[in-house]
Amino acid sequence: MGDQIATRDAFGQALSALGTAHGDVVALDGEVSDSTRSEFFAKEHPDRFFECYIAEQQMVAAAVGMQARGWVPFASTFAAFLTRAYDFVRMAAVGRANVNLVGSHAGVAIGPDGPSQMGLEDLAAFRAVHGSTVLYPCDANQTAWLVEAMADAAADSRGVRYLRTTRGATPVIYGPDERFPIGGSRVLRSSAADRVTIVAAGVTVHEALAAADRLAADGIAARVIDLYSVKPVDAAALREAAERTGCLITVEDHWPEGGLGDAVAEAFAGGGPVPRLVRLAVRNMPASATPEEQLRVAGIDADAIAAAARDLAA
Amino acid sequence: MREDKREGMDLETVRELGRQLRVDAVRAADAAGSGHPTSSMSAADLMAVLLARHLHYDFNAPSNPCNDQLIFSKGHASPLLYAMFVAADALSDEELLGFRRLGGKLEGHPTPRLPWVKVATGSLGQGLPYGVGMALAAKRLDRVPTRVWVLCGDSEMAEGAMWEAAEHASHEGLDNLTAVIDVNRLGQRGPTRHGWDTGAYARRLAAFGWHTVEIDGHDVDAIDAAYREAARTAGRPTAVIARTKKGSGVAAVEDREGHHGKPLPDAEEAVAELGGRGHIRVEPRHPRCERCARPLDHAPVERPASTWATRSPPATPSGRR
Repeated sequence: MGDQIATRDAFGQALSALGTAHGDVVALDGEVSDSTRSEFFAKEHPDRFFECYIAEQQMVAAAVGMQARGWVPFASTFAAFLTRAYDFVRMAAVGRANVNLVGSHAGVAIGPDGPSQMGLEDLAAFRAVHGSTVLYPCDANQTAWLVEAMADAAADSRGVRYLRTTRGATPVIYGPDERFPIGGSRVLRSSAADRVTIVAAGVTVHEALAAADRLAADGIAARVIDLYSVKPVDAAALREAAERTGCLITVEDHWPEGGLGDAVAEAFAGGGPVPRLVRLAVRNMPASATPEEQLRVAGIDADAIAAAARDLAA
Repeated sequence: MREDKREGMDLETVRELGRQLRVDAVRAADAAGSGHPTSSMSAADLMAVLLARHLHYDFNAPSNPCNDQLIFSKGHASPLLYAMFVAADALSDEELLGFRRLGGKLEGHPTPRLPWVKVATGSLGQGLPYGVGMALAAKRLDRVPTRVWVLCGDSEMAEGAMWEAAEHASHEGLDNLTAVIDVNRLGQRGPTRHGWDTGAYARRLAAFGWHTVEIDGHDVDAIDAAYREAARTAGRPTAVIARTKKGSGVAAVEDREGHHGKPLPDAEEAVAELGGRGHIRVEPRHPRCERCARPLDHAPVERPASTWATRSPPATPSGRR
């Protein structure tokens, strides 16, 4: 723990290890394997790697064709460009296909490349797919676990599974032996005195932790939940947090529609009591900037979270 | 006819089978009160020749990896696909007439709810891309002599994804892939962009690295010869580009606009015009290789169940686990 490792690096290494352990795992990439890091798999298992070039529809289609013959495909490209293959994803669900898709370079956190390269609607898009699983890890060990969990799920069930990875390095906050079951979450900060809950995933988990530290210094105890399984969502943990703290802040590197905030809101749409909810998300069209500047401008960094928490706890 | 015996049903009976497939497609859509019989009729001869003489398939073992794969990229021609399944004795006539009914087996467009369908189609421009993935897996991963046959509509050749697939297939040298393009000239609203200009498709596909054959899609001899040519073409995929008539065999709808996606105006008369119901049953040719007992679903060959029963040590970037 304490190292800085990008989740895309962890994905590439975990996929390569998975390929070593299981001969039926195959990988496809849309000519960005040096960015998604599926190149780690390609180097170890060249016979089971398929270069699809810049043709995302064909890449997803080839993955669907391969799973129809019993193989376990992982297809990767930038999260932004998977949207191009969305009709194939939709039809994969219609066909009860068993495919794993991985979108890298999620959100404004990619920094200077600008909005054409940012996956900002991917969580909404993949959440809307029938029977899908949507995972968004915040650290390397969690990523490694979830990659394997996707393959395990592929052996036991059918469906479209999506993993969202981050371009930049993030702190390793979990130990190597921790478990992250699909449908679970992690409470990273909690106490009997919690007055607010911050729900984050991926890159915003680290901002939420920094915000919680600042709030603690101000005497405001904040619960922090890492909602790495965006679908299915850990409704029980969210409801318990709502009961204890009364208010929730969601913070996501994604547009406000359809992502983490909506996943949390849906957990309270069952007719029970509804907590006070504040959603922090990317609301204005980004341009070029450093990753830190992007998070600040979008209002999803530690400062923005702490400010929202102070308002709610006041 | 020695060669016919080797290759299955004789061509005169295949011609009758084509009529039977039309009749059953018309009956299915008529029973449902909806569906795409005219889009089925244009491809009936193409599929009759395929089913009776070229498709290597064991309907009792749909997961045999050595089976050929048939994909209806023009998924709306599902009445034709289901009529083929009836001819192969895989479906009953009662099941055929339950087309598009709540609780029935036969959906409006094909899905893997049927064991002989491996990918869902109905969104145009997707079947050929899926076929490329299957042909690639058969050739490079399974290494079995499976052929993948994809029935494409001419309208869907306007979809960009078809050309991504065309590129990918030729780049990978997928000579185990055959696209059969049913050029019936008419789309949903009216004429397609290229009409009956089969050369327009042939020139484009040839430029993409495909072998192409242009034929009359209602001439069973020509269809048979084209499929044989596809099978012996090495190093690249083949497109059989077939000029056909939408609604072929029934004068009230044949090559006429305004009859897409609806039952025939008088199904009884149409069945009579087509020569009445047929009762031909087809046993397709056996898979080319029967060494594989491995089913396609859920139990891939290189993954013994035991490796998944217990969790293997997960990998981490630092190798700490």
